[in-house]
Amino acid sequence: MKWALGLTALAVLLGLPTVLSGYAVTIFVLIFFYAFLAQAWNIVGGYAGQLSAGHAAFVGVGGYTAALLLDRGITPWLGMLVGAALAAVLGSIIGYLGFRFGLRGFYLVLLTVAFAEVCRILASNIDAVGGAVGLYITFTGNPRQFQFQDQRAYYYLALALMLLGTGVVALIERRRFGIYLTAIREDEGACEALGVPTFKYKMLAMVVSAFLTGLGGTFYAFYLFSLQPNTVFGIPLSVEIIIRAVIGGAGTLLGPILGSFILTPLGVPISPPHHQARLAMTAPEKRTAPAPISNRPPTRPAA
Amino acid sequence: MTRLTRRTFLKIAVGGAAVVGGPGAPRAQAKTFKIGAVHPVTGPLAEPGQACRLGAQMAVEAVNAAGGIKGKGGLKLELLVGDTQTKPENGRVEAERVVNQGAQMLLGSFDSGSTNAMVSVAQQKRVPFLIDIAAADPITANVAKSVKEGQQKVQYVYRNFPTASSFGRKAVQYFTEIFAEAKVTPKRVVLMYCNDLFGQSQSRGFLAAYKVAKPAWTLLEDDVIAWPEPPSDLSTEVSKAKALKPDVISPITRPASAQLLLPEIRKQRLDILGIIGPGSPGFYEAGQIAVLKDDVEYAMVSNPWANFKNPRTNQVADEYKKRSHGKTFDTNSGYSYDAILVIADVLERATNLDDADAIVDALKTTNYTGGLMQYAGPIHFNELGDNPNAVTTMTQILGQKAVAVWPREAALQKFVFPRPRA
Repeated sequence: MKWALGLTALAVLLGLPTVLSGYAVTIFVLIFFYAFLAQAWNIVGGYAGQLSAGHAAFVGVGGYTAALLLDRGITPWLGMLVGAALAAVLGSIIGYLGFRFGLRGFYLVLLTVAFAEVCRILASNIDAVGGAVGLYITFTGNPRQFQFQDQRAYYYLALALMLLGTGVVALIERRRFGIYLTAIREDEGACEALGVPTFKYKMLAMVVSAFLTGLGGTFYAFYLFSLQPNTVFGIPLSVEIIIRAVIGGAGTLLGPILGSFILTPLGVPISPPHHQARLAMTAPEKRTAPAPISNRPPTRPAA
Repeated sequence: MTRLTRRTFLKIAVGGAAVVGGPGAPRAQAKTFKIGAVHPVTGPLAEPGQACRLGAQMAVEAVNAAGGIKGKGGLKLELLVGDTQTKPENGRVEAERVVNQGAQMLLGSFDSGSTNAMVSVAQQKRVPFLIDIAAADPITANVAKSVKEGQQKVQYVYRNFPTASSFGRKAVQYFTEIFAEAKVTPKRVVLMYCNDLFGQSQSRGFLAAYKVAKPAWTLLEDDVIAWPEPPSDLSTEVSKAKALKPDVISPITRPASAQLLLPEIRKQRLDILGIIGPGSPGFYEAGQIAVLKDDVEYAMVSNPWANFKNPRTNQVADEYKKRSHGKTFDTNSGYSYDAILVIADVLERATNLDDADAIVDALKTTNYTGGLMQYAGPIHFNELGDNPNAVTTMTQILGQKAVAVWPREAALQKFVFPRPRA
């Protein structure tokens, strides 16, 4: 029954782009992409219960690596793996520091946020990676460069990423690895007393999670065509990732997907354009008063 | 009352989503030319984003009131507005949405990240895209490069706004000309900037342009002073600047940091010829002048500026002030307004409005002089798709009002430099 349901859902998702508009396809791309990131976070944050609030760092490392390698003529299909590997290295450093010294809960949150912030500040100040202005990727539509003229290619790519993430989590869940992670989340002390090498498994969870998130970074870079330290390393992106897993159900296989299906469309601006434009044109006096001008963010373009 | 179980919740959520996401009621409307205008109207950049949207709307109304696109049977323009929420991904989402709703051209989008995300939609779907505001050079240069290398057939992206590098070049040029006119050669110009994305890109552009120009005056390149934005206090930074014995302070501020910097320069009694910024907000806004009062008097800054010598600009600025509850017609509203005027001009000349490439052909041959902003010549697009005549203007606060003072053809008053000693 479960299999039949899953296969039907998959068949529907595979067939959807043929009937959907370009706009709806874009929203699905984001749903799958965030579901993938949330699924990756789910391994360490959901199953193992280690609250990482700095996953944006892995997205950034993955994206920047692939984009910079493309400048040197290396296709992002390869750069993606290099980026993910670097993200995994960063994950292991954060994991080692956090888990070796037994940081839990709030303290681990602080550590992970701190690392993401360090990455953001570094990227903002190193000219070789574009500094605060960031990197702008040339749109070529060349599949070798991880770019596509047809929007549906991104749809299938994002879907594949989501399925990959879910597949990895399903595999982990069914193995001793997954059971250990759940046990660590429920009672780490008891786990250790029973001889589970908790440090090792928490590290593994972090590395796998960081690797997958790093893969997502390349997709981000080549879907939006620019990388800015504030957007890819910033706390808001980390929160976007976590909140999907938490709302859908952290530590469950389908939770991140459900969360992304609920939250991603909500995050997209819902503005009935005809209505709004007409309102503004015919009754300007009805608009709400704008905020005062002083002490506001820049009134000039950011870059 | 039944308990809200997860299942009923999901049913409601899915039902709700279907209602929200479903197609709207069909509307019977006369044929219009739809322009998708995507700006950050909510989020951190909401204020400038709303200014852009209002500017574009007013321009659409003006074009329609004047009879629409006359060469095309009085075709009316219609704005399909979009909101990026200041997030790059929404630049892409909203561009897709407005194109899906029939937008035949795109306009936007203020921050360079969202704008570059929109570029991919324009190139993928072959929708001509006129950038009203976004300064990062690579946005148009990258597309031009990929067309040149044969990876894309047609460039659909054009920009009527100064590029980041031109901000720096123009600032250095104006500094040089103003110093020459005032017959002074400052030997110690100290650059101070807010260390964020905007401040970094502006200071970098200014330094790079200075290196290339090698002017007679001297910028202390090795003693550039940065502060973390937003700052809580700038007394240390100003003492550092004072220790450098500056002739001129050249600050790149945000509104909040300008409110700390300028009073501090007065308190520490810096003996300088004047304050001239290479380009940033913080000096010229009505609210800032009201707060800074005498501290901002005689301060100069080089920014995109409206051409108030043009009577039409003054008319539009008055209307804008009414409709925006007292705001100035500035960079944001002005460039968005002009973008619509340029589009109207392009549509008049395009041979076939249903063919994107015909619109692009008309864009490429643009030679438009009706813009309300200050330009160095007619609006036209170079091989990169940028308007080389979109330039900044040096403004100075004189009598508690921001006034254009340089270049000469834009000046409404003669600049006061060196500033009178207190």
